[in-house]
Amino acid sequence: MTVRVAEDGAIILEGKCPAEDAETVARMLLLDPAASVDWRACDHAHTAIVQVLLTARPVMVGPPRSLFLRDWIAPALSGTPT
Amino acid sequence: MNDLLEQFLVECRDLIDAATADLLALETAPDDTERLNGAFRGFHTLKGAAGIVEFPAMGRLLHAAEEVLASVRAGSRTVSGELISDCLACLDQTGRWLDEVAATGEIPATPEDAAEDLVARFAASGRLATPGADSVPGGAVPTDGTPPDGVPRGAVPAGAALGTRVATAAPDWVARLAARHQSEGHRARAALRYTPTADSFLRGEDPLAVIARIPDLLAVELMPRGTWPPLDELDPFTCDLVITLLTAASADDVSTIANTGFGVLEVWPVAAAMLGPDALAVLEEQARLAANDTPEGFAGRLASAGLVASNVLRRSGLPDAASAVADAARTGQSDRSGAAFIAALRAALGDTEEASEPQPKTVMPDQSGDAAPRAQTTRALRVDVERIDALVSLVGELTAAKNAIGHTARLMREGTDLAAQSRALKDQHALLDRLVSELQRAVLGIRVLQMRHLFQSFPRVVREMSRELGKTARLDIEGETTEPDKATVEALFEPLLHVLRNALDHGLETADERRATGKPPGATVRLRATRDGDQVIVEVADDGRGIDPAKIRLAAARLGLASETELEAMPDQAVIELIFSPGFSTASAVTGLSGRGVGMDAVRSAITRLGGSVAVTSQLGMGTSVVFTLPFTILMLGVMTVEAGGQVFGVPLDVVIETTRIPRDRIARLGAAEAIVLRDRTVPLIRLAEMLDLPGTARESAGGDVSILVASAGGQAGAEQLCALEVEAFGERMDVMLKPMEGLLAGVTGFAGTTLVGDGGVLIVLDLQELLRCQESPL
Amino acid sequence: MTSARTTGPRGRVLIVDDASLIRLFYGEVLRGAGFEVDEALNGLEALEKLLLAPAGLIVLDVNMPRMDGMTFLRTLRRGDQPLAATPVLVTSTEAAPRDTELARAAGANFYLVKPVSPDLLIKHAALLHAGPDGGPNAAPEVGPDGAPR
Repeated sequence: MTVRVAEDGAIILEGKCPAEDAETVARMLLLDPAASVDWRACDHAHTAIVQVLLTARPVMVGPPRSLFLRDWIAPALSGTPT
Repeated sequence: MNDLLEQFLVECRDLIDAATADLLALETAPDDTERLNGAFRGFHTLKGAAGIVEFPAMGRLLHAAEEVLASVRAGSRTVSGELISDCLACLDQTGRWLDEVAATGEIPATPEDAAEDLVARFAASGRLATPGADSVPGGAVPTDGTPPDGVPRGAVPAGAALGTRVATAAPDWVARLAARHQSEGHRARAALRYTPTADSFLRGEDPLAVIARIPDLLAVELMPRGTWPPLDELDPFTCDLVITLLTAASADDVSTIANTGFGVLEVWPVAAAMLGPDALAVLEEQARLAANDTPEGFAGRLASAGLVASNVLRRSGLPDAASAVADAARTGQSDRSGAAFIAALRAALGDTEEASEPQPKTVMPDQSGDAAPRAQTTRALRVDVERIDALVSLVGELTAAKNAIGHTARLMREGTDLAAQSRALKDQHALLDRLVSELQRAVLGIRVLQMRHLFQSFPRVVREMSRELGKTARLDIEGETTEPDKATVEALFEPLLHVLRNALDHGLETADERRATGKPPGATVRLRATRDGDQVIVEVADDGRGIDPAKIRLAAARLGLASETELEAMPDQAVIELIFSPGFSTASAVTGLSGRGVGMDAVRSAITRLGGSVAVTSQLGMGTSVVFTLPFTILMLGVMTVEAGGQVFGVPLDVVIETTRIPRDRIARLGAAEAIVLRDRTVPLIRLAEMLDLPGTARESAGGDVSILVASAGGQAGAEQLCALEVEAFGERMDVMLKPMEGLLAGVTGFAGTTLVGDGGVLIVLDLQELLRCQESPL
Repeated sequence: MTSARTTGPRGRVLIVDDASLIRLFYGEVLRGAGFEVDEALNGLEALEKLLLAPAGLIVLDVNMPRMDGMTFLRTLRRGDQPLAATPVLVTSTEAAPRDTELARAAGANFYLVKPVSPDLLIKHAALLHAGPDGGPNAAPEVGPDGAPR
């Protein structure tokens, strides 16, 4: 499973997350807007998922395992929205 | 070369021909709207063709000419000699580009240089033609520096001076992106903006994966196309992102790596954005300055180019590039070459073209001198559909004839009524014979080219030469629709051109001279082609000063062609024909007949090699006429095969007098040579194998017969020199389609050409006369 | 001769032109932009002045058919370093490509067609000049705003 909810309500992204997961993540965030997203085990996230994250701006628990996500997407998610 | 380019070449050449004709006609009749519209359409269509094969430089050039013609149509400009010349120069350049495409199979990589000067000429001529343009030097400074014709007065007109490309200014987002990331930004060489389509996710694209492959990323921004929507309004599977990034990789590399089928990818070199057009112009100019490697002043020029370039780069916030460029300039001093500096500059600008350093032009290229007409030796042929249809029905008939013969053969095998079958076979053979002849004719017919193709470049020659020489000459052309074989037409090109040039250069008087002798001031040169039976006759006649036999006698005497007494005794016509003597082309200017590299003797031998002839007649004060006669179908040749040195050769039947066998003891020795007596004539005997430097088989033992081929070794009819060739065996006689020697073998003497024989092999046909000539004067 | 000199922070420019009106006009414009300006009436005088004190930029009039400007430029480039590397901005009334090419071959760093607007003159002087230390001794260390580091 690339997306799942942990016991404490955190949304876990693991491995290589495909485009389909975007809808799941969006639904989860709508259900629990305070949920954090833990992507420490995430090796890849399809752009659709990144788009959801940029829209929702949840608290991110990282750094993500993917270097690309870490260097270029994580900063975009933690910075102030422009 | 792909089909598109092949078609492009063929169509464009036709368009160029048509436009040339229209322009020339327009020059003599400036009010001819049909010609004007024709020329305009021609340029317009050529421009369109350039667009289709993606040849922007050609499109730009043709567009400039098209605009000029458009303004003529609109009445804001008139037809002038210069305008026509410029348009013709444009067509010439296009023709040269087409040659390059034909040779390389690709669109030329750096065609801009050639075009810019021409484009500038069109622009300049436009400026001069506009009435009221401010052309007073040092006048009051205009408020915005832009005079009425739109060329900013302070800077040099873009097309006019700088020649090669100035890097295009990048769009604003590049500069803004760089500005937002100043700390890493100074290392940035390229900027990318990727706008995936809204349905890219659904189609399977992962936009971030596309850009993740790009190395040396420096900054990445992800923005929505509009604004960020609230989460509950977001459609997770619709892509609403715009991705921009900066990278230290070059724009070239980025373009290669980043690819998508869903959306718009824009890649720009960053330096260009950060520099601005003025700085770019200055940098380009330093590259040009450094490209000049004339030794005097080189050190100073390169040093100042390096200084200026590095300062511009540093002041624009590109310190790394500035250092690299300064270092390269210093290296260039010891190398005595600006190449390293120019390369460093181009790298700094993120220049994607693998161009060689810009070539400085110290003089304006002479466009008019390049208007040499080219023999249109295109590999492709445009063929009338009817000819192909005729071939198709011939194939049908041949198939039927073949079947009939097969049937007859079967019947004969069965033994039924042999007499009737052999009659049937005879009829069928006759039918086959007729069909094959038709086929030969039809195929040759496809290769015919109307004389028009040959003549079309000559009006230009006459025009250019007339202008150069200050003589007015009119070219009358008749018989353009005569249709000789393509090889004939091609072979005629150079000789005709030479004769035509001679006529214009030396044959015609100036207008004043003509008036003084009561002639109309404009001279006329007539080019006429007619068909006479199975020959084509092409005449070049002028109404100029004619050939002066006295001058020829003088030159001939000087050249030692004949003694003075002999020359005096010669009738004038014979004297005139001396111009065909070898060496006459290098005669002094006194004769006024020195050719431009192709003497009349070369003309004659080129024509006779094809089975034709050249004749000159002239009347002093009245004019000269040169007549070429060529066989209509030059390629069918009767040959007989002979064996010599273990190989089989073809010998053209027209030089063979007879073949015979004689007893060995009839061969007489004359010193080292041999001879035979033939009907009271002593004829030298040569072994063909020896003549061809082949190992000969030993003669049969004494008492046997020897096969002799008696051939004509040249000379006038009635006074022919004969030669007997000893061969090992005779073969058959046949009609062949002779293919002249080509390529590397074209210069080899002694061979008339080759032909294909029944079993697919190649038969070499000898040129006996050449061989015998060489024999006479061994080197 | 010249008006009261202000020591320009952006460096020294030498204007070579036989027309006093031009020297005056360009001089005022460049001084106003922060350059120190000196003038010479012809090539010979220019060389003399340069030997006394190098300039960061030479603005050189080369109106054809007077060849004096071109001769000066060629002489400059063939001379000793570092003077030979002085940036030169050529101004001329001629706009034909041939004239640009001739100037380039002689060693011009850029070419402007007269009359040159003040904006264009300042813009190109800023791009081309060698810097405030007055000459092409070494690539000067200036920051992006042109001021020395």
